[in-house]
Amino acid sequence: MPSLNPSDSRPEAGGCGDDRPAPVPTRRAYWRSLDDLRDTEDFRAWMHREFPSNADLLEGDDRRHFMKLMGASFALAGLGATACRRIPEQKIVPYAARPQERIPGKPVYYASSMERGGVGQGIVVKTYDARPMKLEGNPAHSTTVGGLDAMTQSEVLRVYDPYRSRTVIRDGEFSDAATFDAWMADHGIKLGGKASGTGSIAVLAEASGSPSMTRMRQEFAVKFPQGTWHEWEPIDGDASRIGTSLAFGSPHRPQPMLEKAEVVVCLDADPLHGHPAATRLSKDWAVRRRLDAASPADQTLSRVYAIEGVLSVTGMNADDRLVVRPSGVAAIAGAIAAGIGLKVDGLGELSAGLDLEEVDAKILAAIIEDLKSNRGTSIVMAGEGQPPVVHALAAAINVALGNSGRTVAYTADSSPDRKASIASLVEKLNGPGLDTLVIVGGNPVYDAPADLDFAAAMGKASHVVHLSFDVNETSLASEWHLPRAHFLEAWGDTTAFDGTIAITQPSIEPMMDLAQKGWSGIELLATLAEAEPRDGYSIVRATEALRSGTSGGTFEAHWRTILDAGIIAGTEMKMETPEGFDTDRLAGAVRKHAADASKGSDNGLDFQFVSDSAVYDGRFASVGWLQELPDPITKITWDNALLVSPSLCREQGLREGHMVTVNAGGRSIEAAVFPVPGMDTKTVALAIGWGRGEAAGPVGDNAGFNAYPLRTSAQPWIISGATIVATGAKYAFAQTQDHGALDALIESVPEKGIQERLPTLIRETNLDHYREHPDFAQHRVHVAHRLSLWEETNLDGAKFRWAMSIDLNTCTGCGACITACQAENNIPVVGKDQIARGREMHWLRIDRYFKGDNPDRPDAVFVQPVTCMQCENAPCEQVCPVAATLHDKDGLNVMVYNRCIGTRYCSNNCPYKVRRFNWFDYWRRDPIREQEGLFAVKPDYYTSGGPDEWRRMQFNPEVTVRTRGVMEKCSFCTQRIQAAKIEFKNQWARNGGAEFSPDWSIPEGTIQSACEQACSTGAIVFGDLNDPKSQVAKIFATPVSYQLLEELNTKPRLRYVARVSNPAVPLGPPEEAHGDDSDSGHAGAANRDSQGVRA
Amino acid sequence: MSRFLFPRWSNALLPTLMVVGALLPLYVVMFVAYGFSPKTLEVGYQPQQPVPFSHALHAGQMGMDCRYCHNTVEKAAHAAVPPTQTCMNCHKWVRPESPKLEKVQESYETGEPIEWIWVNKIADYAYFDHSAHVNRGVGCVECHGRIDQMEVVHRHEPLSMGWCLECHRNPVDNLRPVSEVTNLAYDQRTELSLEERVALKDLYHINPSENCSTCHR
Repeated sequence: MPSLNPSDSRPEAGGCGDDRPAPVPTRRAYWRSLDDLRDTEDFRAWMHREFPSNADLLEGDDRRHFMKLMGASFALAGLGATACRRIPEQKIVPYAARPQERIPGKPVYYASSMERGGVGQGIVVKTYDARPMKLEGNPAHSTTVGGLDAMTQSEVLRVYDPYRSRTVIRDGEFSDAATFDAWMADHGIKLGGKASGTGSIAVLAEASGSPSMTRMRQEFAVKFPQGTWHEWEPIDGDASRIGTSLAFGSPHRPQPMLEKAEVVVCLDADPLHGHPAATRLSKDWAVRRRLDAASPADQTLSRVYAIEGVLSVTGMNADDRLVVRPSGVAAIAGAIAAGIGLKVDGLGELSAGLDLEEVDAKILAAIIEDLKSNRGTSIVMAGEGQPPVVHALAAAINVALGNSGRTVAYTADSSPDRKASIASLVEKLNGPGLDTLVIVGGNPVYDAPADLDFAAAMGKASHVVHLSFDVNETSLASEWHLPRAHFLEAWGDTTAFDGTIAITQPSIEPMMDLAQKGWSGIELLATLAEAEPRDGYSIVRATEALRSGTSGGTFEAHWRTILDAGIIAGTEMKMETPEGFDTDRLAGAVRKHAADASKGSDNGLDFQFVSDSAVYDGRFASVGWLQELPDPITKITWDNALLVSPSLCREQGLREGHMVTVNAGGRSIEAAVFPVPGMDTKTVALAIGWGRGEAAGPVGDNAGFNAYPLRTSAQPWIISGATIVATGAKYAFAQTQDHGALDALIESVPEKGIQERLPTLIRETNLDHYREHPDFAQHRVHVAHRLSLWEETNLDGAKFRWAMSIDLNTCTGCGACITACQAENNIPVVGKDQIARGREMHWLRIDRYFKGDNPDRPDAVFVQPVTCMQCENAPCEQVCPVAATLHDKDGLNVMVYNRCIGTRYCSNNCPYKVRRFNWFDYWRRDPIREQEGLFAVKPDYYTSGGPDEWRRMQFNPEVTVRTRGVMEKCSFCTQRIQAAKIEFKNQWARNGGAEFSPDWSIPEGTIQSACEQACSTGAIVFGDLNDPKSQVAKIFATPVSYQLLEELNTKPRLRYVARVSNPAVPLGPPEEAHGDDSDSGHAGAANRDSQGVRA
Repeated sequence: MSRFLFPRWSNALLPTLMVVGALLPLYVVMFVAYGFSPKTLEVGYQPQQPVPFSHALHAGQMGMDCRYCHNTVEKAAHAAVPPTQTCMNCHKWVRPESPKLEKVQESYETGEPIEWIWVNKIADYAYFDHSAHVNRGVGCVECHGRIDQMEVVHRHEPLSMGWCLECHRNPVDNLRPVSEVTNLAYDQRTELSLEERVALKDLYHINPSENCSTCHR
């Protein structure tokens, strides 16, 4: 079998090395990737072709394999034909007793919630015929506010995961729930202390804000007075609690109010993506980023400063990025604190070693200036990965500036110090006599701090019971593995980031045999503590009855209300607004940190652990949707990578995919490097949660590199003094950063091509320029004529004109829309190999552009979601030989799957590269990482009904599942449009039709496309242009609304809102006014060329 | 050995072959055109159902309204086959001992559904919505035929795309007052004048779409 990775057979690409002569046109105002910047062959292949060379060819042995398969399939087809009936018999299976008000085929929505890292996310579960099909955000919930991140949305795929655990396992042998219950009853008595007190027991739980869990913990303490309770979560939040304790005396959780902040300073913080309440924070941030002033001259924008070493989503969207190694952020925090006049001893020492480049020094000065002039309207946020002192300083600065109570409040946080908690457990395990360890969720064998050697310690317990959704590393090392019920299968409760309690309402029975049960955490603990009742429903109700102090009818009414709303209103925690902080304690911490920092050597690199956008801490390794979702920063799928800056890569003679040994803190791992523009040159970063090998199951099998062996209690996020050494081995990434690169369509000037076009793709400017030239976005492109070669589709008199607007000001690039689209539209997972060939099936992609000519320090980063533009004058329609893609009356460019014969002409002719081709019956294939061979067909491929019955249950019945050989693309969620049309016209007709009112209509805002619905910032707006009051019509009328590739006269129905940023220290050349014709636009570009960007 | 001579009768073979050869292509074309047409293949499909339920008895003789059982038809895409519960609303009292009801009784007791055979099935990639039609005066009979006369339900129309389009292109003949939608004996072509039918079309703004996206998603 030859390698399936095309990059093996092509000239080495994706490099940052400098051994090839630099291509001449190095001026690139905007570029997608380092390959684009250097204009490599590889990039050109991606840009000029729909698929790069050899992507659609069979290689070597595959040809023979192909013939075999074709022979077999013809034979099977013949077999099928003889056996075929006049009409294949299909069954209708009605309910025996239909639940009240259930209408088969109509979706039913349930309000629910789930928690990750102890923070509740409010969801609405969309179910079809009792199958959960899609998760949406609950608008009433304070953490999700109607949007939903990709991870939470993907949980719906997880519930149908064919590889999830469905059986009780004892020492590697299958067992069942009854056996465990019997063992537990017997063993529990032994442990209870009543008999002899021979053993002791400990519980290690995941972080949880569940009130029922808290109650079960109390029950546990009553039952086992000698038992101990520990909590572990790799993304622990400890630093914030310790930091706020330093400042305020007790652990607190900052509650930012970004909608009130004019100036946001992120000390390595990622409020727009990595933060537990990122969905909420993005929405709040967007309030101050929209171009919504009545007059452009009065437009204001908040200003976001990102101080970071590794590019983050917040960093991509920041106005100014101060690039500093992660261990240097504390010094910056000290300098800011000193700058605003904070009277704390030791600040000078803390920021003493600060050696900033000129531009960074300017930004630092601007930060201090901005904070001083925005007292009460600014906020300083510290990142998860920063040491406590940074959190303490952030809190102190907020208090000193009077932000406390205005842009940030604090709530008490009673969570334990998780690192200390697991350390005390390990101590107990290593001591004598721990009989039983019960682990509720999590995977400590894999993710506990490396210095604790948890696996060895766990082996010393006599019995280990592990409740887990998957059979993971910890399950394998435990005596008992119990299959955990998914939150869509079990009752529970959660607390939001601000403390609001929400009920977790199941929408399906645990998908396993009754004999295997499927426990939730609270049910297991109830069994353990012998508390009554023991079923989740009763536990949660009892908890809520206790909390609300109601009973009987009052409680029932209350219960119905909270189930319906999805939240329990008024349960948020008390917002504290500290007026002062403990100067001495803070000074002590500052001095200590300064002293520690000065001891550390400046040599070597900073190694930073980052939380992952796909697998979180490793728990989502088996979720195909998340594996395939390109990382917002790197665009890598199916892997993580050691992120390095391009210049570090060059210094070390490395290229993308070269394996290195990372030595940090006396430990070492191996990982493949991936250069990322905008990284600090002395920093490397690796996302946690990968490299689980076979334990991750077939989906995440051998994906990525494990960072946990380097991670210790003392250095959980940053390790200074790291080194990297090339091993000589190579690794192939499947990344999508150059996929869908928009083409240079002017054939005669290929060398100009994309470079000329890029400023027209991303139209952006800064606030000052926008105020003077609100129509700046209109003059970026020269449209020679608006004559069409074709007879244009006549859309006159249409009742609706659907359109979409995407606001580049508020799109963070997080990718929630992609997952929403995937869930809604039955988009398959194709696997790593297929991604490497450019065959990803996502209807929506997010293009990312860097600006400037310094790969280490791009002036800015832009993201642009691109999906089908629904061109009124669509190029794809002209070339389809079978009229499988054409227009409907509402102006949608529709794709008729049952007509498509797969010529791919349409895709070839699409200038936006948004059409996707089903090279295989992807929907039949398992969503796993590597498929066996190019075809990966099983013997029953042509005869079986399709994939695993489990996963098929997730399919949206409203959308056709596409087969092999069929083209597909974004439909603007036409199924949602049709559903709304039918509903409102029915209503009107039932009321009497024209006798009732002259015509029927669909109220604005009724139809939301899936992407729009998931987007918390409201960047995506869908609506009807025929309604002048609709939001989309209003946006289209503004001068900042522009068309992509307008010069092609495709008349797209999707437009973008040009981006306006608000930098304090603008990088690159100043904005110049663009004239009305193309020439000045081009001249402007050329001008930038000669100026360069930065010394 | 003497030379082989074709027998005399074989003289007729050549012209016969020529005629057959000339007609064969025509035959093949006609065979495919008519033989493979949904009108031939689909119409009349009448599978044996697990329970010998008679629409002729219930809807015909007893005159039960379609919507007593198919009660989602005005609200949803599917005119759902009723749950066993619906049968038992009456059959708890009416002929509970009948052997024909054995499977119904069994389903009612066990909660296991009855698996009916789907008769009026359209392709998976076509999305038909009952509510959109019955709320605007397209009668059940237009697609399902005289169900009230069928002892065992069979397919009355081809339900092919071409057949759908016939009506979508010329809806006037198939419109009736909404109150008569489930009246299978009603025939708007005789009961209503053309003007009255056009008035119905205007009343409900019936302007059936021929766009692909109407039925295909």
